[in-house]
Amino acid sequence: MSPSPPLLQVQGLSVRYGSVLALDGLDLEVQAGELVALLGANGAGKSTTLRAISRLVPASAGGLFWGGRPLLPLRTEQTVKLGISHCPEGRRVLSRQTVAVNLELGAWLRHDRAGVSEDLDRCYTLFPRLAERRRQLAGNLSGGEQQMLAIARSLMARPTLLLLDEPSLGLAPRLVEEVMGTLADLHRSGLTLLLVEQNAEAALAIADRGLVLEAGRVVLRGSAADLRRDSGLRASYLGS
Amino acid sequence: MDVLLQILVNGLSVGAVYALFALGYTLVFSVLGVINFAHGALFTLGAYLTYLGVGGAVGSNGALAGWALPLALPFPVALLLAGVGCAGANLLVEAVAFRPLRRRHAEPLLYLITSLGAGVVLVNLLQIAFGAEGYALPADALGDLPPMLTLAGARLRSVQLLLLLVCAAVMTVLTLWLERSRGGRALQAVSEDATTARLLGIDSDAMVRLSFALSGLLAGLSGGLVGLSVSIAGPYFGIVYGLKGLGVLVLGGLGSVPGALLGGLVVGLAEAAVPGDLSGLKDAVAFAFLFAILLLRPQGLLGRAPITKV
Ligand SMILES: Nc1ncnc2c1ncn2[C@@H]1O[C@H](COP(=O)(O)OP(=O)(O)OP(=O)(O)O)[C@@H](O)[C@H]1O
Ligand SMILES: [Mg+2]
Repeated sequence: MSPSPPLLQVQGLSVRYGSVLALDGLDLEVQAGELVALLGANGAGKSTTLRAISRLVPASAGGLFWGGRPLLPLRTEQTVKLGISHCPEGRRVLSRQTVAVNLELGAWLRHDRAGVSEDLDRCYTLFPRLAERRRQLAGNLSGGEQQMLAIARSLMARPTLLLLDEPSLGLAPRLVEEVMGTLADLHRSGLTLLLVEQNAEAALAIADRGLVLEAGRVVLRGSAADLRRDSGLRASYLGS
Repeated sequence: MDVLLQILVNGLSVGAVYALFALGYTLVFSVLGVINFAHGALFTLGAYLTYLGVGGAVGSNGALAGWALPLALPFPVALLLAGVGCAGANLLVEAVAFRPLRRRHAEPLLYLITSLGAGVVLVNLLQIAFGAEGYALPADALGDLPPMLTLAGARLRSVQLLLLLVCAAVMTVLTLWLERSRGGRALQAVSEDATTARLLGIDSDAMVRLSFALSGLLAGLSGGLVGLSVSIAGPYFGIVYGLKGLGVLVLGGLGSVPGALLGGLVVGLAEAAVPGDLSGLKDAVAFAFLFAILLLRPQGLLGRAPITKV
C-alpha cells in the first residue's frame, strides 16, 4: 500500500520572470495539519513560491500537486475553490470597501450562508479590533489592522491550506507576537499553513518544520527545533 | 426665469445622454484601465437596431435595401432588444479586440488601436447594410404620448422627458447594484485590484465580460433614445457623441460613476446655455468648457488620484 499523498507537493518547480530565474527546481511538501515556515532573504523566491502555488505566475518546469492531483492546469479562482487561500504580500486589502465587505468578499465562492456568518463572528472574536471598525473603509485602517483584515479575509474562504506572505511585516513587536499567537491557535485547531517570513525566529517558534530558500533553491530544511539551533541559519537570518 | 428653466430642461436631457455614454466608458475603464473606443459605434448600432425593431425599413442604398422586420414592436421593447443586441456586440468586441491583448499583457495604448478598429469595422458594416442615408424613427413611436409637454412654463418634448427618466432609472439601478450587491462589489474589487480579487476566488475574466455587456447595454439604450430624439444622421452619427462622452468621462474623473453623471449634466447645461443663433458653436463651447475645468482640476471633478493596475 502506498502512503497517502501529501496535501501539497511541489516538485522541481522553476519560475522565470523574463530572464530572471526566480525559482530553480524547488521541492517542497506540506502534510495536512502542518505549519511549515518558508524562510529566506529578500529576493530568495519566497513570494514567487506562493504565487506559483496559487497559479498567479506560470511555472516554466516542474510539477504542483494537491492531494496527488495536478494543480498546474488550474486557474487561481479554481485553487481557491479547492481550499487554498493565499494572503498576499503587502496586505492588499480593498481600500474602498468597508471591513465587513472585505470579509464578505473573502467568502465569495461559498454559498453556505449560515457557515459564512458563523465564520464572520469567529473572525471578529479572533480580531476584536476589526469588529469595532467593521463599518470603516479598509483604506483607513492602520497597517497592523489591515494585516489582521487580510488574514481574517483569507480565513473567510474556510481554507484547507493557508498561504501567508510575511504577515509580520511592518508590525510592532507586540503585534507580531499577537499575530503569531493567532496563527499558532489556527494551527492547533487543525488548519494547515505555509508561512513565508523574514522574521525567522518568530516563524520557527510556532512552526513544525522550516525551509530556507536562497536564489530560488532550498539550502536548508529541517524541524523547527533543529533550525532554531542551527548556527548557519542564526548567522545569516537571525543576526546573531 | 422661463428661459433659465428651458435651458435647464434642455441641458439635462442632453446631459443625460452624455452621462449614459460616459458611464459606459467608465464601466470598462474601471475594470481594465483602458477605454473602449468602439463605444460610439455600439451607440450607432443601438440606434439602427431600435429603428429596425419598431418596424422601420432599410433605405434604397443599403445592401439590405427594402428589408424590414415582419412586425413592428412597441418602442420600449425595440429599445430593450437593441440594448441586449449591443451588449452581445460588445462581448464580441471584447473577445476580438481586448482579450487577445490581455492574454499577452499588451501596452494599454494598443487597446486604443484595436478597439478603434473594431468600431470602424462596425460602422462600415452598418454603412454597407443600411447605406449612408439618414433615418428617422416614426413620430408615433411613443404611441399616445403628446409630442410636447409644458412643465412650469418650460416646453419639453416627450422624448426629452423619456431620456431623462430612462437615464435616471439606469443610473440608480446601476449605482445600487455596484454599491450594494455581491456581484457589484466583486466588480469593484476587480477594479481596485484584479490580482487580489482572483485570490478571493473572483473570476476576473467573467467580471470583465460582465462590464462589457453592461456597457454595451448602456450604449444601445442611449443610441435608441437619441435616434428617436434627433433621428439617425447616418452611420457616423455616434462619433460626435463618442467624443463628447470621452470628454465627459475625463471631466467627471476617470472611473468615477457619480463623476460620469455630474460631468454629463455639466456639459449638457453648458451646451444648452449657448444661444440659439450661435448654435453652430455648441461643440466648441462644450470642449472649451471641458478644457478650462481640466486646467483647474486635472483629475476631473470627482476623480481619485490614479491607481496602478496589475
Ligand atoms: N514581477 C517580477 N518581474 C521580474 N522579476 C521579479 C518579479 N517578481 C519577483 N521578481 C524577482 O524574482 C526573485 C524572487 O522574488 P520574490 O518576490 O519571490 O522574493 P521574496 O523571497 O519574496 O523576497 P522578499 O522577502 O523581498 O519579499 C527576485 O530576484 C525578484 O527580483
Ligand atoms: Mg516576498
